Amino acid sequence: MGGLPGRALVRVGPVSLQVRRRAVLVALASTVLLAAAAVLSLSLGTPYVAPADVLRALSGAGTPYDLVVLDLRLPRLVLAAVAGATFGLAGTLIQSVARNPIASPDVVGITQGAGLAATVAITTGAAAVLVAPAALLGGLVAALLLLALGARHGLAAQRFVLAGVAVAFALRALTEVVLLSADPIDGLRAQIWLIGTLAGKGWTETWWIVGTLVALLPVLAWAGWALNATALDDDTARGVGLRPVARRIGLAATGVLLAAAVTAQVGAVDFVALVAPQLARRLVRAERPPLVCAALVGALLLVLADLAGRRLFAPTQLPAGVLTAAIGGPYLMFLLVRGRRRSA
Amino acid sequence: MLATRDLVAGYDERTVLDGLDLTLPADAFTVIVGPNACGKSTLLRTLARLLTPRRGTVLLDGTAIRDLPTREVARRLGVLPQSPLVPEGVTVADLVGRGRQPYQRWWRQWSAQDAEAVDRAMTLADVAGLADRPVDTLSGGQRQRVWIAMTLAQDTEALLLDEPTTFLDLAHQVEVLDLLHRLRADRGRTVVAVLHDLNQAARYADHLIAMRAGRVVATGPPREILTAELVRDVFGLDCVVVPCPVTGAPLVVPGRTSPSPAPSPGAAAPSAGPSTAAPVPVADPSAGPGSSAGSVPVAGSAGSAPKGPAAPATRNATDDADRPHVGPYPKGH
Repeated sequence: MGGLPGRALVRVGPVSLQVRRRAVLVALASTVLLAAAAVLSLSLGTPYVAPADVLRALSGAGTPYDLVVLDLRLPRLVLAAVAGATFGLAGTLIQSVARNPIASPDVVGITQGAGLAATVAITTGAAAVLVAPAALLGGLVAALLLLALGARHGLAAQRFVLAGVAVAFALRALTEVVLLSADPIDGLRAQIWLIGTLAGKGWTETWWIVGTLVALLPVLAWAGWALNATALDDDTARGVGLRPVARRIGLAATGVLLAAAVTAQVGAVDFVALVAPQLARRLVRAERPPLVCAALVGALLLVLADLAGRRLFAPTQLPAGVLTAAIGGPYLMFLLVRGRRRSA
Repeated sequence: MLATRDLVAGYDERTVLDGLDLTLPADAFTVIVGPNACGKSTLLRTLARLLTPRRGTVLLDGTAIRDLPTREVARRLGVLPQSPLVPEGVTVADLVGRGRQPYQRWWRQWSAQDAEAVDRAMTLADVAGLADRPVDTLSGGQRQRVWIAMTLAQDTEALLLDEPTTFLDLAHQVEVLDLLHRLRADRGRTVVAVLHDLNQAARYADHLIAMRAGRVVATGPPREILTAELVRDVFGLDCVVVPCPVTGAPLVVPGRTSPSPAPSPGAAAPSAGPSTAAPVPVADPSAGPGSSAGSVPVAGSAGSAPKGPAAPATRNATDDADRPHVGPYPKGH
């Protein structure tokens, strides 16, 4: 029994999964690159730690660098990887539902909803621990608004994107209003949150994101398969026994949940959710972004962006969000110049 | 196997089908014909549960289709919508494989039966040689065969197709219709298609459903029901119906529907004209044979404007029997 061309069959007892061969290669390659980037990220900085010492510290051998590597740099690195992977997953889900490579949480308003809520929380002097929950709530409210506006015609692709852009603009305008009327110091703090940074963050944020991922794991396993059908139009999908509207709502809800959860923790790090899925899709040469590869590419992107932000103008630290935006802007232009072939 | 009871369906405010009672014969090739916007596509979409009726029911082997899980329906009823969206970069085998969706789960994504069904469907639709090609690089005729292969991979008893020959050239139209005929004749599938071309409908259908303005005007074998009166009733078109020179099936030759402002010189036959051409019901057996052999339309090429309505009407059936090789009759497959 053969699988389809370009696919390998993974069989474990009653379970049989179709896996794209290229996706396996891309996943392996990005894992290797991610590991390399991680070692680099742990070794670069002041003080410099040789990669060999980094590895020794990681293995728990006990080195003089344990404090720097394990307590200062590792938490931030793991957060970058986990947050980047989650952005990649969220972007894949939202882009696939929207059938649009430009749709991502920061384009359809989720990030702006989280941003508005976080800004309000910061400028009204709420306790620091309340900022993340407020941002999560804001992102989810924006998502509900988006689903309500987009759901009228079964969450049709075009309508979904347009509704999202409208929600994003409205929320961004409100955020500006709040920022302008706020105390300057609070306003500055809010603006740093809005750009998105990993500085001063670590295990707590990581655990919140990992918790969300674990809770959604069964849904993600289903989504990896269900995404295959998003390329079909509704009539064709119904013809082969699917319920396309229910499926889109399920996938979109999963995507916005992930996006809101991660944005609440690390702030509005733009463009990772936009770029990672499309990069993965091009590498795998599939008709839609593959979930696992997009997650790995997202992790790699954010780890590199945070590393570059730390080291590029050291000792001045740039927020990771600035770096991802610097990558994402030209990428968006590339997409536009290349001509908008309908994809994703 | 498919039937409708008091079916009312439409879009938004507009009611397209109003109280339709219809039975589609099993193991037959049924063709639905009618003018644009008569509701034939709406009927097909409602039969395929792509459109939820406002009232009434669609029965699949006696059970209301809306009471059946969509996955189960997809194992018994394949449907090819009018112009499906071609996913970018998907290979032929991949797309055909999606026809296996109703048999798959996320933890059981591929089985030996899936592989067999996909191979069989691709061979049947003659796209096996294209298996590794991306669908969006194929020609219109190849794409249509790929979509048909996808519905075939579903392994259903019945197949519903909405204008499967639109946008195809004549040779590809015949190819697709021959394939549908084979499915019916060799594999005992029930095939239901919406077709625009009356002559193709007459040639291939075992059962014809003629619709106008959301109602069924006539049903039955084309040879019994396809007359000039029916065409006038359904399409408002004056025409002559003659036996097809190849198959003997009714062949509809349009007369002039309205006085044309500038008839091309020499084109008008002496008896031409809407009033004189219209009443000729069926081929006139008394007409002289062989009077204008050169102007006999090739079977299946309906719609082209005839030089003069009287000319083809003078052909008769016995004369046609002597010229058997204009094109293959599907019964021979």
